[in-house]
Amino acid sequence: MPALWLLLILILLGVIGYVVGRARAVRSAGGNVSDLHSLPNHYGSFVALSVVVPALTVMLIWLLAQPLVLNAIVSTDFPVVAIPENASVDLVMSDVRRIAEGLDKAEAQGVLDQSPLNTIADDAGALRGMLAGVGVALGADVTPEVLSASQSYRALAASGQGMMTGLVLLVALVGFAYAIRRTHKEFRARNVVEAGIKTLLIFAASIAILTTIGIVLSLIFNTLHFFRLHPASDFFQGLVWAPSFGGGSELGVLPLLWGTLYISLIALIVAVPVGLFAAIYLSEYATPGVRAFAKPLIEILAGIPTIVYGLFALLTVGPMLMSVFGRDGLGWMQAGTAVITAGLVMGIMLIPFVSSLSDDIINAVPQSLRDGSYALGSTQSETIRQVVLPAALPGIVGAILLAASRAIGETMIVVLGAGAAARLDLNPFEAMTTVTAKIVSQLTGDADFASPEALVAFALGMTLFVITLALNVVALMIVRTYREQYE
Amino acid sequence: MYDMNKQETAVTQKEIKFSARDVQVYYGDAHAIKDVSVELEDKTVTAFIGPSGCGKSSFLRCLNRMNDTIDICRVEGDIKLDGEDIYHKAVDPVQLRARVGMVFQKPNPFPKSIYDNVAYGPRIHGLARTKADLDEIVEKALRRGAIWDEVKDRLSAPGTGLSGGQQQRLCIARAVATEPEVLLMDEPCSALDPIATAQVEELIDELRKSYSLVIVTHSMQQAARVSQKTAFFHLGSLVEYGETAQIFTNPVDERTESYITGRIG
Repeated sequence: MPALWLLLILILLGVIGYVVGRARAVRSAGGNVSDLHSLPNHYGSFVALSVVVPALTVMLIWLLAQPLVLNAIVSTDFPVVAIPENASVDLVMSDVRRIAEGLDKAEAQGVLDQSPLNTIADDAGALRGMLAGVGVALGADVTPEVLSASQSYRALAASGQGMMTGLVLLVALVGFAYAIRRTHKEFRARNVVEAGIKTLLIFAASIAILTTIGIVLSLIFNTLHFFRLHPASDFFQGLVWAPSFGGGSELGVLPLLWGTLYISLIALIVAVPVGLFAAIYLSEYATPGVRAFAKPLIEILAGIPTIVYGLFALLTVGPMLMSVFGRDGLGWMQAGTAVITAGLVMGIMLIPFVSSLSDDIINAVPQSLRDGSYALGSTQSETIRQVVLPAALPGIVGAILLAASRAIGETMIVVLGAGAAARLDLNPFEAMTTVTAKIVSQLTGDADFASPEALVAFALGMTLFVITLALNVVALMIVRTYREQYE
Repeated sequence: MYDMNKQETAVTQKEIKFSARDVQVYYGDAHAIKDVSVELEDKTVTAFIGPSGCGKSSFLRCLNRMNDTIDICRVEGDIKLDGEDIYHKAVDPVQLRARVGMVFQKPNPFPKSIYDNVAYGPRIHGLARTKADLDEIVEKALRRGAIWDEVKDRLSAPGTGLSGGQQQRLCIARAVATEPEVLLMDEPCSALDPIATAQVEELIDELRKSYSLVIVTHSMQQAARVSQKTAFFHLGSLVEYGETAQIFTNPVDERTESYITGRIG
């Protein structure tokens, strides 16, 4: 039985449990709801939770564990001689799984019934062709060992599936019976339901935390793996970025870091004044009518996908800059893709971040400070410059650092707008590239994922992660120090 | 108009500083102040008393046009400072507020040093030509705010780090540093403890020698202690205005008596 059907049955059981539990609780109080310890809904929820949660947990664990267990069983049975040269058991096993999957599909589509499989096995090419027909492409012809392993894999998977269905339904029914038995007017269903809800929330929070930890660990281990294959001194101190997949690459991060920081700097030079002034206008000068209309309009900028900004950089801003600084104009620019193009467009992208956050922060400055300043006979701009902005400064710095970490992590705009040359240069009209753009180019293509040229992406990702983390920590520290002073 | 007044009362009364005629204040559709007419004397402490929401703070904020900063607020009628209509088109509220200082209910020092807090007004009005001038103005203002001895060694410390009572005296020093002619105080002691209140009250009495002061207060004892004139507001109207001693011992209006004896409000 497929997992989806099982899930639907569980939900149905949960709903039935809710209704039955509720009715039983009300009946136990003789129809007088105020005699119950908890609300009738709590009893219903208690039964529903007892049915669904343990059963779902069993199902989830089973689904996660089954492939691992099957792998272990099938691969121990696999004859060592059948593993080809320079391939690992893992690679063969992934073939086995793919073939098993393909056979399942073929069977489901009616391309294959059980009887001619043995004849097909003699003709390896035919099997490959048939699997390709149902959408499973194989890298090589199927050997008889692999085919038999995948057949046993299928058999085990099918029986595993059956066992899981039985177990999950059993757990659900036991939960149902247990919960119904306990449902009585004295039973404190509310407390149990509250504790259950709390557990669910903790579970959700820990998924988020564990995922973060997992990502960081995977970054760290792959980075370490990269440094075993490639000297760290070249990565951190090398001034040249020249990957070549034949080996002998120079993978210096400095040109990429420089490109990242340079483009981010230009973006901030554009975004900070414009965003800040827009925020000041919106929060201090604009009438409520203008504000209600202008603020959402600015925030729409934040909703534009960055790839659209990338197109805008490539097709509009680049040619526009070329007409002024290019060969027809001042002659400073060779091509439309340059640091200045990407920086300008990224700056436009960051304006709503800076303005929206700063606007909230400026609004949070107490009105009493403004009153105090006006009462001393200062004008509106004096008040803003000398009282409101200094009070809002820590928050504004935080907003700017947040915008900076976004700029550093931005990818699409630089892929399309900044060019692809890794270069250490001061000229903003030259093409440069960034860490993010190079991660994309190292991983797209026919690279072998075990080579240093591909693994360098993890080291680059780690570098970015450390930089943005440091920025965020500094932003938090600034905000905290000043907050203590002002409150 | 006020010249006549002055001649009539020259013997017993001081010069009139503020003269208000038929003042109406609206917040949107709400009519907050109705037909208030009052004349405030120079070098006198005038107390505004009355239950919460009676319009005493609103009226106070008319006197230095702080109500201008509230979008929905509308002021009608005639308010004259030294015979000049302060709501006339030609009057710049910024200049008016330099002449009519204000201290607020909650101490609101700027997030700057103590020195910069006091120097703020003199700086924006260009009162000091040299650093030494400014130092002198700041010291004088802090002395008049009766806080000089407590802060003279830490003028560069943030003003927000002082205690509540010190902050309020700092705000008073900040207000007097611009040399205003009138000082408006909106419940200046409501956030302070009794000791700090006593210090501020002492200060108010001291400041009376040079300024005209208007103080809004919820404490009848405070009004009786610090003011010479008292105005009682009720539901947006000025019910009674007169000598403080007379208001508290022998009020004319029944509502005033009810309020000061604690039966309404």
